[in-house]
Amino acid sequence: MKTTFVGKMSAALVALGLTAGPAFADGQVNILTWEGYADPSFIKQFETESGCKVSATYVGSNDDFAPKLAAGGSVYDIITPSLDTTYTMVDAGFVEPLDTSKITEWNNIYEKFRKSAGINKDGVTYGMPYAWGAIAFMYRVDKFPTPPTSIADLWNEQYKGKVSLWDDKSAIYVAARLEGNTNIYELNDAQIEQAKQKLIAQKPLIRKYWATAGELVDLYVAGEVWISNTWAGYQSAQIKAKGIDVKEFIPKENAEGWLDSWMIVKDTPNKDCVYKFLNMQSSELGQCGVANVNGYSAANPIAAKKCMKPEQYDALHQDDPAYLDSLMLWRNLGARLEAYTNAWNAVKAAN
Amino acid sequence: MKGFRLDRLPGLAVLSAPLVWAVLFLFIPYLIIFTYSFWLKKYPTFIPAFQFGNYAQIFADPQYYQVLLRTGKIALMVTGLSLLLAYPFAYFLVFKVKSSRVRSLLYMAVIAPLWVSYLLRAYIWKTILGSEGVLNSFLVWTGILSAPTDLLLYNQFSMVVTLTYIFIPFMVMPIFTALEKIPRNLVEAAGDLGVPPWGTLAKVIWPLSLPGVIAGATFTFCLTFGDFIAPMLVGGPDGVMIANVITSQYGAALNWPLGSALAVVLLIIVLVIIELSDRLQRKDRIGLG
Repeated sequence: MKTTFVGKMSAALVALGLTAGPAFADGQVNILTWEGYADPSFIKQFETESGCKVSATYVGSNDDFAPKLAAGGSVYDIITPSLDTTYTMVDAGFVEPLDTSKITEWNNIYEKFRKSAGINKDGVTYGMPYAWGAIAFMYRVDKFPTPPTSIADLWNEQYKGKVSLWDDKSAIYVAARLEGNTNIYELNDAQIEQAKQKLIAQKPLIRKYWATAGELVDLYVAGEVWISNTWAGYQSAQIKAKGIDVKEFIPKENAEGWLDSWMIVKDTPNKDCVYKFLNMQSSELGQCGVANVNGYSAANPIAAKKCMKPEQYDALHQDDPAYLDSLMLWRNLGARLEAYTNAWNAVKAAN
Repeated sequence: MKGFRLDRLPGLAVLSAPLVWAVLFLFIPYLIIFTYSFWLKKYPTFIPAFQFGNYAQIFADPQYYQVLLRTGKIALMVTGLSLLLAYPFAYFLVFKVKSSRVRSLLYMAVIAPLWVSYLLRAYIWKTILGSEGVLNSFLVWTGILSAPTDLLLYNQFSMVVTLTYIFIPFMVMPIFTALEKIPRNLVEAAGDLGVPPWGTLAKVIWPLSLPGVIAGATFTFCLTFGDFIAPMLVGGPDGVMIANVITSQYGAALNWPLGSALAVVLLIIVLVIIELSDRLQRKDRIGLG
């Protein structure tokens, strides 16, 4: 292999700076994921048992995965994009096929998830479903004598300056539903334009668009926001822990559902540890780990049943396929993604 | 090699390090961005091409020049406010403070925040300006407001305040230096000839300090123009600036070609401003023999 000057330089820099750490463990696995998915509460045990050192880098949005992988450098071994992004990873050639026979609990994972179009291409599976939930809505109990029931409450003049929305293309989904367009993943240009105008009209009511999970928590705790959308289970628990009473709700216009899957980055050298890690994450340790840390539902109900109390199992809708079916599960937008992101950027750019 | 002399080697070695640095980390990256700006967005990522579609989009789609205009407006406001605050302060330090110890102490007070993390300094304004923040609590406590106001944070006002606070040292420093260099006998001569203090300021001090003002204004304007942290931390829904749009093209939209074209436009604007300011400074430089 021809080594370039730059290559040599960077190799030398890496050798200088990064020899400490992972090199001492038997193996390693570097993950690019959401906060909580590599929480010490269950990762420590895995590291001791497997001898694989886990290093995690966190993302704030599904849109962070592709740019980080497109930048190259083979830094990460596994990633956890949601169902709207998984297929892009496959199409872009960022990830490699998954050997499901190496995952003991594979067949215990919800079939709907295993077969979902986002992680399967031409009969090959690329992802291991892990956790799921709803993009619910949330409000401060003390500020709403009558609990909100509709997305329209985020457009209510009465709450001017107290509304927040996730800084994400999903804002288009929200506005489209308010306009009565339920085909939110197949909107035509006119419908996207309609949603865009709706969102621009909402701007005077918006306090701030939230970009990370922590930011929304801060906005509620600082008294800036009273109503918003949310990653159900996660932020509400953190806000309540800080003494602000909030409540989640599924509006009558319905909510989107999401599913995160583990995907293996192409040509990772750490395959042994990667499969050990996937086996841990799909078993009781990982499934109850994420449920306890993030409040998300587990993709493997059999493992979840073994480690969850009946109340938790119930609260997370693990036994309720109808709930899952009722959510509008995220879908890959393919080439239409550009139209959605463009519209969302135009909303943010508007005066 | 013709004309190569061994005794030049140390000099070359000293020069080559910054040169390699500049080529490797400035020139090549700019070239890469420039190349990308002609590429084509195509699902799932983008493909090499040579076309001007990205530039055409920037000028055709109102969202881009709207943001450029807004960024220019914010940068102008920050520059203006910084000048209004920095000039009297620097003037006071140079001409009114007699003790040099007090002068350097006050000067350091302006410079010291530069040693504190930018993020921290921007973040602090959230605590001050928030709905339940320090300023609101104070205004309600004194009875000036009956209820906390939302008008202080998450809008362009809070962005201008934060950016002014962050970049004002870059305005104070060159103005201070320019004022300090003005020979005192010129000021005294103006006084002796019966020019009132305001006249001295307008006809002697201000013209002589213009190079410092232009340098300071250029710094603050360009730094603000490329800022993307303040809009994220204290900006509201109407606070998106051009650097945020570039970030989102590189990130969310995965449209590096368009992001690069925007970066090239931003770079050109900044270079033009620096060039103009350079010419102005040269024109305004008054020889003091």
